[in-house]
Amino acid sequence: MSIVAENLTWGVKRRMIVQDVSLSVAPGETLGLIGPNGSGKSSLLRLLAGLRRPASGRVEINGQNIAQVSRKALSRQVAFVQQSAATDTNVTVADVVRLGRTPHRSALAGWSEADEAAVTQALGRVEMASRRKQAWQTLSGGERQRVHIARALAQAPQVMFLDEPTNHLDIHHQIEILRMVRELDLTSVIALHDLNLAAMFCDRIVVLEGGAVRACGTPGAVLTPELLRQVFRVTAHVSWSPDSDRPHIRFSGEKAQAPG
Amino acid sequence: MSIPSLLALATAALALTGAAAAAQTRTTYPLTIENCGQSVTFTRAPQNAVALGQNSAEIMLLLGLQDRMAASAFWPNSVLPELAEANAQVEVLTVEFPTLEAVLSRQPDFVAAMLTTLMGPDSTVANRSDFEELGIPTYLAPSACATTLDAGDAYGSRSELWGMDLLYKEIEDLARIFDVADRGEALIADFRAREAALREQFSDNEDLTFLFWFSSPSPADDAYLGGGNGPSGYIADLLGGSNAIRTEADWPALGWEGIMAADPTVIVAAQVDRNRWDLDTAANKIEFLTSDPTISQMEAVRNGRIVVMSGAAMNPSIRTLYGAEQVAEQLQALDLR
Amino acid sequence: MSSDTSGDGAARLVLFLGLSLVTLILAVAAATAIGDYNIALRTVFLSVTNELGLTGAEIAPIEQSVIWNLRLSRALVAALAGAGLAICGAILQALLRNALAEPFVLGVSAGASTGAVCVIVLGIGAGSLSLSLGAFAGAFAAFALVALLSNGATSGPNHTILAGVAASQLFNALTSYIVTTSGNAQQARDVMFWLLGSFGGVRWPDFQLLLGVVLVSLAICILMARSLDAFTFGDEDAAALGVPVVRIRLVLFGVTALLTATIVSMVGAIGFVGLVVPHAARYVVGPMHMRLLPACAMVGAVFMVIADIASRMIATQQTVPIGVVTALVGVPFFAIILYRARPQA
Repeated sequence: MSIVAENLTWGVKRRMIVQDVSLSVAPGETLGLIGPNGSGKSSLLRLLAGLRRPASGRVEINGQNIAQVSRKALSRQVAFVQQSAATDTNVTVADVVRLGRTPHRSALAGWSEADEAAVTQALGRVEMASRRKQAWQTLSGGERQRVHIARALAQAPQVMFLDEPTNHLDIHHQIEILRMVRELDLTSVIALHDLNLAAMFCDRIVVLEGGAVRACGTPGAVLTPELLRQVFRVTAHVSWSPDSDRPHIRFSGEKAQAPG
Repeated sequence: MSIPSLLALATAALALTGAAAAAQTRTTYPLTIENCGQSVTFTRAPQNAVALGQNSAEIMLLLGLQDRMAASAFWPNSVLPELAEANAQVEVLTVEFPTLEAVLSRQPDFVAAMLTTLMGPDSTVANRSDFEELGIPTYLAPSACATTLDAGDAYGSRSELWGMDLLYKEIEDLARIFDVADRGEALIADFRAREAALREQFSDNEDLTFLFWFSSPSPADDAYLGGGNGPSGYIADLLGGSNAIRTEADWPALGWEGIMAADPTVIVAAQVDRNRWDLDTAANKIEFLTSDPTISQMEAVRNGRIVVMSGAAMNPSIRTLYGAEQVAEQLQALDLR
Repeated sequence: MSSDTSGDGAARLVLFLGLSLVTLILAVAAATAIGDYNIALRTVFLSVTNELGLTGAEIAPIEQSVIWNLRLSRALVAALAGAGLAICGAILQALLRNALAEPFVLGVSAGASTGAVCVIVLGIGAGSLSLSLGAFAGAFAAFALVALLSNGATSGPNHTILAGVAASQLFNALTSYIVTTSGNAQQARDVMFWLLGSFGGVRWPDFQLLLGVVLVSLAICILMARSLDAFTFGDEDAAALGVPVVRIRLVLFGVTALLTATIVSMVGAIGFVGLVVPHAARYVVGPMHMRLLPACAMVGAVFMVIADIASRMIATQQTVPIGVVTALVGVPFFAIILYRARPQA
């Protein structure tokens, strides 16, 4: 499913947080959203997912304006994975993944085979199938994120939005999760902090600065030393590893020089 | 007519008048009484009554009805000493709120209540209909009814001075119900006489003010006082004076600074028997008043004008009059200029 | 202990509900047989069968009235009140995402006391309004104030709880003011004693009213049980799962308000039931609300009936506030919850 955003603006009180953002995501593509803190990544993600209403502009998913689709219908197609969502309730892994079937179940309907299949499949994809009965409170950070992703997968979505899914995780888990998302047959938009991970796993990258789109394109095209200095205020060297067509950013510890 | 027959006629006539006179004070049953918005009918004089509330019980005991009482409940204070012997013949279910089942298990044929909390629509114990449905007539003290005419009477603050009238009505009603109207009349007459005696003994004195101190959680805390127009005000009025505290609330709490500012002529220290706070006892109150460096400077304390009264008198009940008499006795020994 | 309709979990739930129902019936039976009025067990049994038309034994009207009008109606109201408070507790713990939430944390009993003193002490309504109605209005007003302050309970759990604290303080202050400046001590004592909670004043009409309110509330809550589960990870997550967050919050908050206010207006404020029973029920049937809510209702009902029996046996012939019993059980339980929820080193 494709995603098209046109002229999105959104703000809180009098502050504009997302300013006239337009972008598009091709079906099956993995789009990375990067930018410094306060650049509006999280808010933009939520606007795209329909969790917030833009002050102006529109979002179309597969040609349909999401503002005209009911919440429930939308959530059958679109899944959202938050940053480290937490709970105090004593739920099990299976309980959490089953929540993902909520959009497909009516208030009193029983548990169907389709539901069970979706859950089992989702758990398998994130390699947590053997841990269905484990208590949530005993999982590690990485395991919890995988379960959240399994829950999103159980929704059987066509589009997935992930808000910094790799924060606080071991590097092993960070790579594992991003690889998993990229291998999914979905359109996905991932907000990320780590520029190298964005370079490794995203088909295209959108750079946000001050709520506006600063650059948009393949990692190689976008992640230039110039941009890195201007937007992220770091001195960096971009190189290309021999066995891949993706750039690798090497940060320098020296103070950033003023732009030319 | 011959003299013997005249004599016989005269005796008969006398007997008839006597009987007629007696018949006036005898209750005829069925008796219907209007009580707190309800008509209650009695087919005969009760033999097995339950009194819910100290005041109702004490009135019945004063009317000499202890052998027609099955039980009583809710005694916030200890019984009037002169009634102790009679009261010992009547079972006390509990000094707190009783349960309806406990009351019913005594097989009452009449239930009289002092407060709507003991018998009323919002009571956690019983409604009047609980008894009425079983054919047990009920009576609620007139002082407890919500009056529709003058709101200041029973509920809400008092704008007018409390008086014994509603108590007299209660005595009269109960006496009629139990077919002891003559005792009721005698009791009311006795109370009225005692009221009048006090008024006569103590002429109005504008400068005479009383402070009624019920109790305090501790010396430093605000004191609970008897307020302006309640029973305390009534006692003060009977004794020719007025309540030093003018607020209309029945139980105002006041700090000692305010009490000193009120500068009462006489301090009435209540003897409260419940044993909750140290200052419940009159002895402790007097000790505090006389030993505290600041408060002992009050004119009343310096001149030894402290009297003791039963705390029960500060609740609107027959005990109020007894309390007034208790104070009156001590006043005579004081120098009231 | 997990999914709401799969496999062994379902069997366990049915077994638990069945056992609870049996326990409830036994408890109600015990409540009908125990009391200050000494009635033979045989008479109790015959009284029930008489009412059902199975026998025609002669029973003294007073005994019949005690068994049927007093004890049985009281036990059934206790069961309904326990069920209702437990359900409200479970709902609030989910909506506020706080394990220590219960209906009275939102200032409800304070509001009820203000409503009651307005009617009794100020004489509002000139004698035609009862204390119950005043308490109901006051309780509802407290909920309304909290809803207003917390934007329909949508401004976040902590904010809502703070709003509850504010409402509590406000209404308590109002009550104190009214009582100290207008009333006499007897009235103040009356209201405070009433508010402590007692089933002594309930009769059959109360049962009928409460039955209707509890059934409707339970039905609505069960219809929204799945949505309530979606709140596990917060409001945003629930929205992402397609749940109409604001609507669900408002409806459930409103239902909780109605049910709690009705119960408080009938029997005063009985604490700890709404706090403790959901935890106990969760321990047995798990946190998913399709199972939790019926389990709460059952456990709450049994708990309250037994607590009421206990409160009648603590001091014979004397009315003991039932809050004493629920606190005696609730406080240690509360301590255990706090202990287990402490941050792990």
